[in-house]
Amino acid sequence: MDPTIPALLLWGMFVGVDLVSFPQIMIARPIVAGSVAGFITGDPVGGIQIAVIMELFALEVVPVGGARYPDYGPATVAAAYAVSGSPGVLALGLATLIGLVTAYAGGIGIQIVRRANTTDVERCRSRLDSGDRTAVRGLQFRGITRDALRALSVTAAGLVIGYAARQWLLVDVGDAVLLTIAAVGASLAAGLIGAMKITGRRSGVRWIALGAISGLIWVNLL
Amino acid sequence: MRLANVFIRSLAVQGAWNFERMVGVGIAHMSEPLLRDLPGGESGEAYGDALRRSASFFNTHPYLSGLAAAALARAEIEGVERDEIEKLRKTLVGPLGSIGDRLIWIGALPIAAAVAIALATLWPPALVPLVFMLLYNAAHFGMRIWGLRAGWENGIRVARALSSRGLKVLARTAGPLAGISVGFALPVSAEWLFRGWESLDVVGALLVMALGVTLVGWVFDRLDGLKFGVGAIGVVWMLGVLML
Repeated sequence: MDPTIPALLLWGMFVGVDLVSFPQIMIARPIVAGSVAGFITGDPVGGIQIAVIMELFALEVVPVGGARYPDYGPATVAAAYAVSGSPGVLALGLATLIGLVTAYAGGIGIQIVRRANTTDVERCRSRLDSGDRTAVRGLQFRGITRDALRALSVTAAGLVIGYAARQWLLVDVGDAVLLTIAAVGASLAAGLIGAMKITGRRSGVRWIALGAISGLIWVNLL
Repeated sequence: MRLANVFIRSLAVQGAWNFERMVGVGIAHMSEPLLRDLPGGESGEAYGDALRRSASFFNTHPYLSGLAAAALARAEIEGVERDEIEKLRKTLVGPLGSIGDRLIWIGALPIAAAVAIALATLWPPALVPLVFMLLYNAAHFGMRIWGLRAGWENGIRVARALSSRGLKVLARTAGPLAGISVGFALPVSAEWLFRGWESLDVVGALLVMALGVTLVGWVFDRLDGLKFGVGAIGVVWMLGVLML
């Protein structure tokens, strides 16, 4: 077994729990989750590259209330594992695909945990309605434990897919480059759509345009 | 000390998030140390009643949960009428969610992420997550501490804190600032990701981007960036497999 797997599993669990349950300091963001995973796998450059791509996708998510949203933290850990050790940009496309599928599965997992929490609350209703603090503590503890198991499972699933992709999905150099082109293009699209969601599609375009023009000037000056 | 305890518990306010009471259980968990000051202490009837009310349905932005929990607990301790407490509880849901979403999900988070993306193109990988964490959590913890203090100091009159001019200005400017930041990060990250690419590859990526923005932004309501990404990479992959 790859010796980095236990550390990646643990890191994936922490970032998954951070997204919603505790403590929401946003180690769950791909830019953090992927960078650290890159260091764990020994490929910090690959880690930061996949982190930026996944962060652009994550910009589209506004996690309001009970909305269903993907879990990009464990997904980026899995993607960083998939990308590690590959030369240049060759594995970025495939790793992005693994990351996106894992993020989607993580989002489904969040809904499953929420439904389990709801059933738990229904079971504890009489104790909650009598003001029993042990019921409150128990619900909190079990909810966070469920979320930790979810995050661990999602990370494990992502790592298994990443491992399988590295071992058996032989993509030739030309295809790998094309996959990376598609992944980078799609991530930039998601980032722009995210910006439009944040600012409002009509009134906000001027702010995005102002930023984009500044960015273009910056790129050309450097 | 009890407020510090409430603050730590506020970090897990969504630990038992559920469709029936949303963050109600988390709010009760947070308020519990403060409610021990009610007449009769932890075994008193007032404590049980207040905890029961705290655990009922409530929804808020998690970072402003301290404001709600502290204000409601203060009102309980001051012996405010139950109807008034219920009214405050219902009144807080909308504004706290709206302010929190505007300041954090639409403001601080995308701004910090955009800064980190831009820095990733310049700085060593180790520094990028650190800068992101510092920037984002300055806003995050600042908001949590402000909320907890405002709730505890104002109690039933907490609406005063929410109507402050500074908060309104911040909420109004967060979106545009985030738009500028993300707009800046897009060409900077694109240039970085494209480094070493052939011109045709860059054109290909920009075409995929244009297709994505058109399909997700204007054509298909239910399509999002993630699904488009899976579709785009998947189609290219399948084409590669078929051509082998």
